[in-house]
Amino acid sequence: MATTVLIVDDHPGFRATARALLEAEGFDVIGEAETAVQALQAARELQPDIVLLDVQLPDLDGFEVAERLTVNGTGPTVVITSSRDRTDFGPLVSRSGARAFIPKGELSGQAIAVLLETPV
Amino acid sequence: MAGVAFSAIALWLVFSSNHDTHPAFGAALNLVVAWSFIASGLVAWTRRPDNRFGVLMTAVGLTWFIGALSESNDSIPYTVGIVLGLVGFAIFVHALLAFPRGYLETRIVYLTVGTAYAIVTVGQVVAALFYDPTPDCRNCPANALQVVDHNGVTTALNAVLSGLGVLVVGATVFVLVRRWRAASTPLRRALAPVLATGAVTMFLLALLLVLELAHPGAANVVSWVTLFAFASVPLAFLAGLVRSRLAREAVGRLVVALGRARAPGEVRDALADALGDPSLEVAYWLPEQREFFDLHGRRLPLPANDGARWATIVEWDGKRVAAILHDHSLLEDPALVEAAGAAAGLALESERRVAALAESEWRNRALLDAIPDLMFRLSRAGEYLEFKGRAEDVAASPETLIGRTIFDTLPADVASLLAGCIERTLESKELQRVEYDLTLDGRRRSFEGRAVVSGPDEVLLIVRDFTERRRQEAELEALHAELRDRLEELGASRQRIVEAGDVERRRLERNLHDGAQQRLVAVSLTLRLAEGKVATDPGVARQLLGTATEELAIALEELRELARGIHPGVLSERGLEPALGTLVARAPLPVEVDVPLDGRLPGPVEAAAYYVISEALTNIAKYAEASAASVRVSRRNGAAVVEVADDGIGGADPNRGTGLRGLADRVEALDGRLEVQSVPGQGTRVRAVIPCGS
Repeated sequence: MATTVLIVDDHPGFRATARALLEAEGFDVIGEAETAVQALQAARELQPDIVLLDVQLPDLDGFEVAERLTVNGTGPTVVITSSRDRTDFGPLVSRSGARAFIPKGELSGQAIAVLLETPV
Repeated sequence: MAGVAFSAIALWLVFSSNHDTHPAFGAALNLVVAWSFIASGLVAWTRRPDNRFGVLMTAVGLTWFIGALSESNDSIPYTVGIVLGLVGFAIFVHALLAFPRGYLETRIVYLTVGTAYAIVTVGQVVAALFYDPTPDCRNCPANALQVVDHNGVTTALNAVLSGLGVLVVGATVFVLVRRWRAASTPLRRALAPVLATGAVTMFLLALLLVLELAHPGAANVVSWVTLFAFASVPLAFLAGLVRSRLAREAVGRLVVALGRARAPGEVRDALADALGDPSLEVAYWLPEQREFFDLHGRRLPLPANDGARWATIVEWDGKRVAAILHDHSLLEDPALVEAAGAAAGLALESERRVAALAESEWRNRALLDAIPDLMFRLSRAGEYLEFKGRAEDVAASPETLIGRTIFDTLPADVASLLAGCIERTLESKELQRVEYDLTLDGRRRSFEGRAVVSGPDEVLLIVRDFTERRRQEAELEALHAELRDRLEELGASRQRIVEAGDVERRRLERNLHDGAQQRLVAVSLTLRLAEGKVATDPGVARQLLGTATEELAIALEELRELARGIHPGVLSERGLEPALGTLVARAPLPVEVDVPLDGRLPGPVEAAAYYVISEALTNIAKYAEASAASVRVSRRNGAAVVEVADDGIGGADPNRGTGLRGLADRVEALDGRLEVQSVPGQGTRVRAVIPCGS
């Protein structure tokens, strides 16, 4: 059974490209969200294995969303992504409960697969 | 002793003489003459051992006995007697001319005395060479000096000698009269007896000399008279001494007078009276000033004690109290001055305090006179008691001020202020200040008064005009306020510049992030997707590559646009006019550009001008609804003048929105200024003047 993914980003261009990329590598993209509110709702309804979460959203930022998704230690694996570099955010990524950070330019199914195989 | 011996010899000679006509009478008279001179000479000598007058008088007496030798019956003593018998007269002339100081002074006096001595010595010896006494005097012995018997020569020589004698006598009388006339009152009193009898004697001597040539018979009588007058001179001198002794009694009267002296200055009057010197002055010693002062508190320097005025210091209780400034002649009897001073010591000591007080008052007065401020003495009721200052500084004319009150002369509010100050001063007995304004000659002036108690129920008010100071203070305050405003404005402007910078950076970051960066991310992902499709689905891969190329082109264009927004490259490379060209080309309306500049403006000025124009054109495009605009950049008086005008709707508010405010800050940071004229319906005109600096 393919790993399910929820893509959260306010740029439709990126969502489309990411979906194409991940699906081409065997992931099952089960949903997309533009805002934090939509993201939280979709995550609850769709129960994806992975949430690919952009930092910059119109309402809340990605870290806040990550915290809420992973609040009980349950929930999906959150992968934060951004067109900025990881160093721009410092410790915010690890504190938010997200599993990892992947710069948008380096996004690939391969990269996510490696992450999932790495022990927490 | 010499005198007694000489007297005995003289008496023996006279009484043993076989050629004297009046032996007893002549002897007695000569003795009287000689002894009166010897006695008074000795008295003078004892009193003033350093004064040669006493010696000279004694010498006159002693040499008088030489004349008695002519009564001798032997040739040698007889010759000495007739030759040197007149030496006493010469010494007498010397003594008279040396009176009272004991020494000779001027050239005429020296000449006169010298001639007198020459006549009675050299002259007489020469005359004796030709003189044969026997024809006149049968019993006389022979003249031991006689060389030739030639009475004609003798007569001629006698005439010459007598003539010279008259000259000597005349000169002596002349000197004595002159000395008398030059003498001060006390000196005259001291000189009078001796000068008078001396002058009379001299006159008679001259008469005698003339008569001896003309009427020898008459001369005989005159010679007796002359002798009497001659003898009276030493008596006159003694009389003068007695008078001075009487003056000592005046000291006794002085003590009594001093006991009565009350008013300042009476001590001086009593001293002047007692010492007989109306010109007498008293100088009081003030130890703090280490100088002498008079009763009015003025400095009174002492004379150098070598001229007509003399100072005698008075001490009381071992301390210097005063100095008596008196005529030199009082030194005839210095003990008298000292006795008078000693008697007056206590009285002078108390008057010294008056002098000290006067001096201190005088100094205080001088101090007040030196102060440029106004000075009033005011009574408790506000009455003017005294005023000092310039007429233009007071509300009423100074002549009418005294006797009036502050309520008569000053506005009610000022008068009540001053009255309060007077009251406070009198109550607290401490310095009080008061400030008030007065309009004098149409000018508003500010005064500050300081009041101190200056007597029972009166204050001294010293008033200073500080209009000018107040004006300067106001000016300074205005300057400070302006500076504060400027600093505040500068602070605000700085903050705005910093904020504008932050906003600008945020905008750039946002633009980069949302624009070029997103597109490049997309390109990157598209390429990765295409890479996966190259083998399996080359058609899709080619399609993806085409999308990526388009995205890249758009990203590049966005980056160029962004860079232009940060700083137009053409501006820094080519200057203002070409940069304006690209600006105008992108503008959505026709813009007329006029840049009459020779050469480029300084970098910061050029950039400021560019942004002013850029912002203004953007505003025109956004809000002005204009059909055309114009841009002009020129140089005037060392400043760049930038003008952007349009024919739009106007009504722009430079204080609203950050665009124009930011431009103004940019221009003001270069010491320039930005003006916006925007009347509704008349278009908008933005004008910036930016100094080009040095």
